[in-house]
Amino acid sequence: MSETEVRIGGEAVEPADGWRLDWADHRNGTGLLVNGERVIPVVVEGGGSEWTVTIRGRRIPVTVRTWRERLMAEAETSARGRIAPVALKATLPGLVVAVRVAPGDEVGEGDSLLTIEAMKMQNEVRAPRAAHVASVAVTAGQVVATGAELLTLE
Amino acid sequence: MSLRTDITAPSRPPFKRVLVANRGEIAIRVMRACRELGISPVAVYSDADADALHVRRADRAERIGPPAPGESYLSIEAVLDAARRSGAQAIHPGYGFLSENHAFARAVEGAGLTFIGPPAATLEMLGDKLAARRSAEAAGVPTVPGTTVAVDGDGPDLARLGFPIMLKAAAGGGGRGMRRVDSAGDLGDALASARREALSAFGDETVYAERVVSPARHVEVQLLGDRHGALAVLGERDCSVQRRHQKLVEESPSPAVDEATRAELFESARRVAGAVEFHNAATVEFLLDEDGNHFFLEMNTRLQVEHGVTELVTGVDMVAWQIRVAAGEPLPPAVLDAPRSGHAIEVRIYAEDPYAGFAPAPGRVTAWLMPDGPGVRVDAGVESDTDLPSEYDPLLAKVLVHAADRPAAIARLRRALDETLIGGVQTDAGFHRWLVDHPGFAAGRYDTSFVEREWGRGPALGAEDSALAAAAALQARRTERVPSPTPADTGSAWGRIGREEALRE
Repeated sequence: MSETEVRIGGEAVEPADGWRLDWADHRNGTGLLVNGERVIPVVVEGGGSEWTVTIRGRRIPVTVRTWRERLMAEAETSARGRIAPVALKATLPGLVVAVRVAPGDEVGEGDSLLTIEAMKMQNEVRAPRAAHVASVAVTAGQVVATGAELLTLE
Repeated sequence: MSLRTDITAPSRPPFKRVLVANRGEIAIRVMRACRELGISPVAVYSDADADALHVRRADRAERIGPPAPGESYLSIEAVLDAARRSGAQAIHPGYGFLSENHAFARAVEGAGLTFIGPPAATLEMLGDKLAARRSAEAAGVPTVPGTTVAVDGDGPDLARLGFPIMLKAAAGGGGRGMRRVDSAGDLGDALASARREALSAFGDETVYAERVVSPARHVEVQLLGDRHGALAVLGERDCSVQRRHQKLVEESPSPAVDEATRAELFESARRVAGAVEFHNAATVEFLLDEDGNHFFLEMNTRLQVEHGVTELVTGVDMVAWQIRVAAGEPLPPAVLDAPRSGHAIEVRIYAEDPYAGFAPAPGRVTAWLMPDGPGVRVDAGVESDTDLPSEYDPLLAKVLVHAADRPAAIARLRRALDETLIGGVQTDAGFHRWLVDHPGFAAGRYDTSFVEREWGRGPALGAEDSALAAAAALQARRTERVPSPTPADTGSAWGRIGREEALRE
């Protein structure tokens, strides 16, 4: 599997040498990294190319791709191009308390688009880049689940 | 754990049945005390909590409404109905929700039940933070320089305090309605937004002002009183490791408090309590400046999240004694003069992402492995395979350690955190693991701005953790399609993986 590539935060990472992953419980992802001198407890969750490894309390998203998956992903990205619409989704469940944009608005990178209240905190959803608001799927007062579509930027 | 052997159990249960008007870890904590006293605990739950752990720990559970707290855990009517239905004789409110609500305490007593907490009139008086300030001043207790009346209009006379100042909601708590103002130019906007937040959170827009004490430590004194006028001062806790006025870590004794300062703090706490009618549990909060001067902040008339720290160093079961004094039992000398021994530290495990400004990180807890062993206590409200409702406080558990001294307690906490494995959601466990290795924390040198200054949004991912995570994910992918190997065929399983990979490429 020499062509397999591991990336963290967009950067290629060389896996630590000499460590073996021993599952403690395969079903919940708990295990140990072992190198004969030290053990480090980890939680490893995910599947396919997308994994999350928890080490010392920190969740680290890790992408593991074979060369074939890498080629396919690159082809998809270039085919979609830069003008493809982006649907923003709720990353946590909560109550929409304010919607600040309407279809047709132009927004800049970092602009606040709407506010979701969850676990007693107000969380701003911001524009990932300068864009045109194509549609808005929620209204203030609406409860949304994780993954619910909020609005579409193009 | 150094539990006191000279504190004996009551000859008979103080109550037959107690309704626990809360959820999560604190509901379970109260139910444990009930069980040990021979009391049958009753749980309440909203529709979001029908399968919650606290419901399964009770003898009986009463539904009190839909997920929204205002229609369930905060509804006086719904909780009282549940108490009547269940035949409970007393209600323990835990912390948060209705615990400091004087109207609730009155309604409980009005229904002929016992409210396990301080008297309703005391909750009412101390719930008004301005009235509490005036009462403390009258009792000769130092307060942070500031106003003793509500700020009028645009606060024309606040400049005399000198900036920065802190605006606070008179009806407030939990950091809401609080605004720091650094210059006269920012005052107008800050006043407007503090009033708006106070109105929406507490239904009262009254704000007052205090000079900012900086650097400051947040040190609080635990009180426990009976209905016969006896008052126990059960030591102090240092709660200076906080972010946005929310505590993350508490320890006792405070590394910043010497014997002289401790005596002054205890005396001030006694005076604050002496100025009001008081029994049951309360905490008097102070700010401590660099020179060891203390200033009264407020008195919390309920059990604190961090009460376990005090239990570990005193051996006094705070919750059991709340219930016993509520039933009229006097505090014995073993509690009133409880000696303190060793050092205790608590870390709060929140479903929050410390690498993203402690933003809420709800989801489903998959793996949940908590530490144990000598000197470790875990008060948890969840277990593995638990969905976290987004309506409530994100506190999942408290990990507490007790050891002979502070360095031993920190070493024990590091060991306990290394045993802690949580999957499915990001928690602040990564922050705590960083904290126990921080030289400033090890030296006991920290103040209320420590987290903001030293942590910020957390350290960048280190090369070692990055390479280890890569190794773990790569090997997890390689073993993905293989059933978990049994010890007997581990070798052949690794061989099989190799063959599978060779075929796949």
